[in-house]
Amino acid sequence: MASVEMRLPAVHKPVSPAASQSNRDDKHLVVPGDVITSDTGFMRGHGTYMDEDRLTASVAGEVERVNKLICVRPLKTRYNGEVGDVVIGRITEVQQKRWKVETNSRLDSVLLLSSVNLPGGELRRRSAQDELAMRDYLQEGDLISAEVQSIFSDGALSLHTRSLKYGKLGQGVLVLVSPSIVKRQKTHFHNLPCGASIILGNNGYVWLYPTPGHQDEEAGGYYTSMEPVSLADREVISRLRNCLLALAAHKVLLYDTSVLYCYEASLTHQIKDILKPEIMEEIILETRQRLVEHEG
Amino acid sequence: MRDTPLSNCERLFLLKAIEQKKRLDGRETYDYRNIKISFGSDYGCCSVELGKTRVFCQVSCELVPPKDSRPTEGIMFFNLELSPMASPAFEPNRQSELLVTLNRQLERCLRNSKCIDTESLCVVSGEKVWQIRVDVHVLNHDGNLMDAASIAAISALSHFRRPDVAIQGRDVTVFSPEERDPIPLSIYHMPICVSFAFFLQGSYLLVDPCEREERVKDGLVIAMNKHREICSIQSSGGIMLLKDQVLRCSKIASVKVSEITELINKALENDRKIRKEGGKFGFAESMPKERITTLKRDEVPVEMTDVKETANDIVNSTETTTEAVPSPVLVGMGTAQIGEGIVNSWALEEDEEDESQTEDRKTDEVMLISDSEEEEVVILHEEAQKSTNTSGEK
Repeated sequence: MASVEMRLPAVHKPVSPAASQSNRDDKHLVVPGDVITSDTGFMRGHGTYMDEDRLTASVAGEVERVNKLICVRPLKTRYNGEVGDVVIGRITEVQQKRWKVETNSRLDSVLLLSSVNLPGGELRRRSAQDELAMRDYLQEGDLISAEVQSIFSDGALSLHTRSLKYGKLGQGVLVLVSPSIVKRQKTHFHNLPCGASIILGNNGYVWLYPTPGHQDEEAGGYYTSMEPVSLADREVISRLRNCLLALAAHKVLLYDTSVLYCYEASLTHQIKDILKPEIMEEIILETRQRLVEHEG
Repeated sequence: MRDTPLSNCERLFLLKAIEQKKRLDGRETYDYRNIKISFGSDYGCCSVELGKTRVFCQVSCELVPPKDSRPTEGIMFFNLELSPMASPAFEPNRQSELLVTLNRQLERCLRNSKCIDTESLCVVSGEKVWQIRVDVHVLNHDGNLMDAASIAAISALSHFRRPDVAIQGRDVTVFSPEERDPIPLSIYHMPICVSFAFFLQGSYLLVDPCEREERVKDGLVIAMNKHREICSIQSSGGIMLLKDQVLRCSKIASVKVSEITELINKALENDRKIRKEGGKFGFAESMPKERITTLKRDEVPVEMTDVKETANDIVNSTETTTEAVPSPVLVGMGTAQIGEGIVNSWALEEDEEDESQTEDRKTDEVMLISDSEEEEVVILHEEAQKSTNTSGEK
C-alpha cells in the first residue's frame, strides 16, 4: 500500500560530538577570501593568491604549512589521484589502444590496452585483433575497478587492471560520495560480515555488490554473472547504501569498520527510515560512540 | 568540464518508461512544460521559462549602411550564446556543435521565414538602414533549448520598439523616446519551433524533451509553424522517418504553436496594459519573490487515480477500535472519578482514618442534624456511608 508522509520544517540542533571538539581547535580552517597571513616571507602554494601583499585563500579548506610554503587543502574537491589508489570509473570513450574512464577527477583517466588483463593468459602480446575487439571487453557505460599506475604531466591518471581483483563490475549498487571522505587504507576491498561486499574507491565512488559464491578464475575479471540476486542480499545492499549516504551526510570517514558499525546501528530501523534526518542523527551518534570506544 | 555520463541503468530505465508511455515528470507524450514569459522594463527585453530551462533575449537596433546586394533592406543579426551557468558542460568561448546547430536553426527560423518586414527598416536607401540585433542567452539548460530560444526571440521582437526617425532630403534625425514614441517592428507572423524527440528507432515520440530524455533520444525533428504554415523543418541524428510520421508531427506542431502564440499575445497584452496604466513593469514585478525556504518546491502532479479505492480498502480492513470509556469509580461520598487524573484528595482522609473515627464522625453528624432528643432521628446516611466505605475499600 502506498502511503504519503508529510514533514513540516523544524529547527533541529546539529549533532556535534564533544569528542572531536579538541581536534577542531588545532586545525586552521579558511574560506575563500580569508586572509591567511600578512607576512610576505611565505611562498604561496595551491589554493592561495596574493591580494595586496596579503596571502588570501581561494578555496575553503585547511591551511597546510611546510617551512616557507603555505597552501590550502580544500575540503570538497575533485579527486586528485595518487599512485596506488583504487578507483572505480565508468568508460566514456573507446579509442585506439585505450579507453577513457571517468573517475570524478578534473580530466578523464586513461586505461591503456596494455594495462588490462586479456582473457587467455597475461603475457600475450597485444595484436591488431585485440585492438579491434576492444569493444567486446569494455564498452561505453561499463563500470570498472582499477588501480592508478601513474600520473601524466597534465594530471590525468593512467589506470591498470592487471590483477584478478580488478576488472569489470557486474551487478551491484554505486554510491557517489565526496573523495575526501574515503579513508586511505591498506585494502579497499572488503567482504562485510553482514552478507555483502564493498569496494571503497578513493575517488568517492563506492561499489556495493553481493559476495560472490566462488571465485571464477577463468576470465580474469571480465566475467559478470547475470544470475538473479536473492532478496536477502538485495536488502542488505540497500541498507548499506542508505548507511553510506547517512555517513557521507555527517562527514564520517568511510572505512570498513565505520560502515559496519553504522550498519549494525541501523538494524533497529527500517531501511527506508534511515535517510530521515532524526533517525540519521541517532544512527550516526551511536556509530561515532562505538568508533571512539574502538579507538581506545 | 564534461558532463557526467549517463549510467546504463538510467538509460534503460528512461527507455523502458517511454515504452510504457510514462515520462519522468509525469507529463503526457504531447504535453509541454509550463511556459512563463516575462518582459523587462526596456523594450525588447524578454525572459522565457520552459519548465526549468531559462532563456533570456534582448533586441537592440543601430543605424548602419546596408549590404551592397540589398540596399533597401534592413539587416537582422542573430546571436545565441550558451552561458556556462546553464550547464557544466558548456565552456565559455567554445564553439560546440550544439551552439552552431542552435544558431543556424534560429537564423533559419526567423530570417528565412521573413517574419519581419525588412523593407520597413530602411531609412535612406543605400545609405542608412536599421540593423536589428537579437541576442539570446541561455541561462539554464534543462532540455529543449531550441523551443525556448525561438519563443524568447519572437516575443522580444514583438515587444521591441525602435526609435522614430524623420527624413528631410538626406538628413536623418533620430528622435529619442522622450521626444517621440518609439515604433514597434512590423511583424507579419510568429514562427515558433516545436521539438520532437524520437526513441527506439522512431517507434516512440515525445514533445518537449527534458534534459535526461534528450540524452537518450535518437533523432530530433523541429518543425516550425505559425498560421498552419511550416517555416522550417530540421531532422538531426540520422533517423529515418516515415512520411505519415512527419505529417503527424506537423499536425501536433500546429496545435502547439497556436497555444503558444496565444500565450505570447496574452503576455504582450498584459505588458502593454500595465505600461499604459502607468503601473510597475519589468522583471522585478513579474518574477515572483523566490526566497530560500526550507520546503520550496514546485507543484508536482501526484497520481491519484485509485486513491479513493485504496483509502476505502484501508478503512474497511482495519478493525474498529473498542471504545474505551472508563466507568466511574466511586472514591468517596459525593465524589467519583472517571478516567485518569490527579489523585482525588476529597476522599483520601476517610480511607486513611480508622473506622472508629468514621464512627465518631457519624455520631457527630448525627448530633449536628438535630439537637433534640425527642425526635427520633433515623440515620439514613449510616447505611449509605457503610456501603460507600466498602466500595471505596474495594
